[in-house]
Amino acid sequence: MASTTSFKDRNLIAVIGDEDSITGLLLAGVGHVNEHQRKNFLVVDSKTQISSIEAAFQEFTQRKDIAIVLINQHIAEKIRTTVDRYQQAFPTLLEIPSKDHPYDPSKDSVLKRVQKLFGE
Amino acid sequence: MSGTGPRENVFATRMALTNTKLRLKGAETGHSLLAKKRDALTTRFRAILRKVDEAKRKMGRVMQLASFSMAEVTYTTGDISYIVQEQAKLATFRVKAKQENVSGVLLPGFDVDRVPGSDFNLTGLGRGGQQVLRAKEVYAKALETLVELASLQTAFTILDEVIRATNRRVNAIEHVIIPRLDNTIKYILSELDEMDREEFFRLKKVQGKKKRDAGKAEMQAIADEEDSEVLKRLDEQQEPTVDLLSSKDADIIF
Amino acid sequence: MEGLFFNVNCGFLEGIVRGYKSGTLTQAHYASLTQCETLEDFKTQLSATDYGNFLANEPSPLSTATITDKATQILVDQFNFLRTNAVEPLSKFLDYITYAYMIDNVVLLITGTLHERDTHELLERCHPLGIFDTMPALCVATNVEELYQSVLVETPIAPYFRDCLSAADLDDLNIEIIRNTVYKAYLEDFYNYVSTLGSPTADVMQNILGFEADRRTINITINSFDTAELSKEQRAKLFPAIGRLFPAGNNILAKADDIDQVRQVCENVGEYRSFFDNSASAQNNGDLGDLGVAAQLEERFFRMEVHLNKLSFLQQFQYGVFYSYMKLKEQEIRNITWIAECIAQDARDRMHDFIPIF
Repeated sequence: MASTTSFKDRNLIAVIGDEDSITGLLLAGVGHVNEHQRKNFLVVDSKTQISSIEAAFQEFTQRKDIAIVLINQHIAEKIRTTVDRYQQAFPTLLEIPSKDHPYDPSKDSVLKRVQKLFGE
Repeated sequence: MSGTGPRENVFATRMALTNTKLRLKGAETGHSLLAKKRDALTTRFRAILRKVDEAKRKMGRVMQLASFSMAEVTYTTGDISYIVQEQAKLATFRVKAKQENVSGVLLPGFDVDRVPGSDFNLTGLGRGGQQVLRAKEVYAKALETLVELASLQTAFTILDEVIRATNRRVNAIEHVIIPRLDNTIKYILSELDEMDREEFFRLKKVQGKKKRDAGKAEMQAIADEEDSEVLKRLDEQQEPTVDLLSSKDADIIF
Repeated sequence: MEGLFFNVNCGFLEGIVRGYKSGTLTQAHYASLTQCETLEDFKTQLSATDYGNFLANEPSPLSTATITDKATQILVDQFNFLRTNAVEPLSKFLDYITYAYMIDNVVLLITGTLHERDTHELLERCHPLGIFDTMPALCVATNVEELYQSVLVETPIAPYFRDCLSAADLDDLNIEIIRNTVYKAYLEDFYNYVSTLGSPTADVMQNILGFEADRRTINITINSFDTAELSKEQRAKLFPAIGRLFPAGNNILAKADDIDQVRQVCENVGEYRSFFDNSASAQNNGDLGDLGVAAQLEERFFRMEVHLNKLSFLQQFQYGVFYSYMKLKEQEIRNITWIAECIAQDARDRMHDFIPIF
């Protein structure tokens, strides 16, 4: 596995989420702006284009310094096909609930696989 | 010929038979080892699955708590999101990769690597600073859960991949390699048997010929004996008149 | 004498405000709001109050932020009505109220400029009450120096900036320190201004502003424990030089290191004594020690604020009612947001933690 060789360098957590989730996580200290002024978070509101969410998703999953990508579940819904197609081990993709959208396990693409494997 | 299945392209010799038998044995050992590995991994995998499931649900609760603390902040301090977004510069909450070895598979995991940062220490200085502080802690705790979950999930993805690979190998050995070696052995054995039978037949033939030749020789010998006796008698009679020219002396070369 | 002529200029507006005030939500309203299961219910319940159909055109699903925005908009409309109908000196008084929001907005713009963002986007995020005509002009500035100059030229809050900060400070200091420095100057100025208005406005407002100043002082003290960024000398500079704690209390607070010292200072002021009462029980609630006390403190401040503002309605012929109405309404919006959040996040046990006004 080629991906395991480089995972030691990955130590950031990237976030795609609504304003409140981002604010909270940034408070906890995940925010990072690198030397190219690239942020590791994207605030999504009702005006954000799906294409820019996709772009951010692609960017975060391809960056070499990101270990975990957090994405609000209702935003993941918007780009569900991309998310479902994503199978890499690194960076790890986690769907998190947001304030207005409580967590729904049945939509999570990883949990779906879990349930399939349990044979339910 | 019993070479119905696919077999390896070998000359049917005893040497090849020994080699193939050794390889079959190796394949069988490999198969049982891989099967054991698969079982070990699957046990682990199941455990992780359960944990992932659990952690995902736990995350739901933890995140709810966290967003509620955010609501508290908004209640007392007002909207701080922009200030916070702009003040973020260097991540103070990072993760560190670690590895764990499960039956020869390196499972990566993440550890929280948190350095005390002061980025937002003064946020809400005039109002609601304590709530901000609390939200910070609650979110940090929530993140810890998330990191834990991320480790589990990575382990899950990688184990899934490895188990598939192992399964493929086990199945390949069981359904392709072992039958092929079996076939090869059968082929060699049958070829060798065939050769044995040919050899036996040939020997029989040779023996028959030899017997016939021997019988002939014996008859000849008896006849010769009778001849020589007649000659002997003749010789005895004509002893003194030996023709020196007609008899060869072995010591004389020319 | 003041009372004799008050109604000539301000009687109409005072009547309006008192009318608005009777439209604030009552206990019965809150009781029915807290019964709601979904935000849709919530909307229906709210439409039965003076808020009317303010959410009628909002698409489902409703977010709590929308509710807050719309409710604030109503308040802003009311305020603007008052402001356009006001004459001196009431109009100046009302302007003073908006300065607080302006400070927040300008600080927001400073943040944006410091990080080289397009500040035009920020205009939307500004509090509507703090918007002034020349605000878009501030967005032209591309660096801090320019912005500082424009703030001095264009904004009504220029004096606060001029007296307390230099352009270089904007760059160096933490944005929160800037905000609080300016806010301190504003509070003191407002305090002086209401003093010139004479009794009874001065009486009422000095009380409220004094409390506001003390609240900030205490908060700054508590929030700056254990931070390297705010030294004790700097801390002392952020304390408004008004209020009940000033000067002796402020001096002690400037040197305070833990919450007990803050408590001792508050013990000396009768009105504030209750802030730290039975804080032991708060700790028993499973809260995080000092953090729990401080969190409770914030709630008590809010209660105190509501109490003081309610008192101001008992006095007639003074401007305090306008200020108090704004503050009470803000608290009400906070309450509505809080209940809406609790509904949205299904946290029913915390739903009653809001501060009822009447």
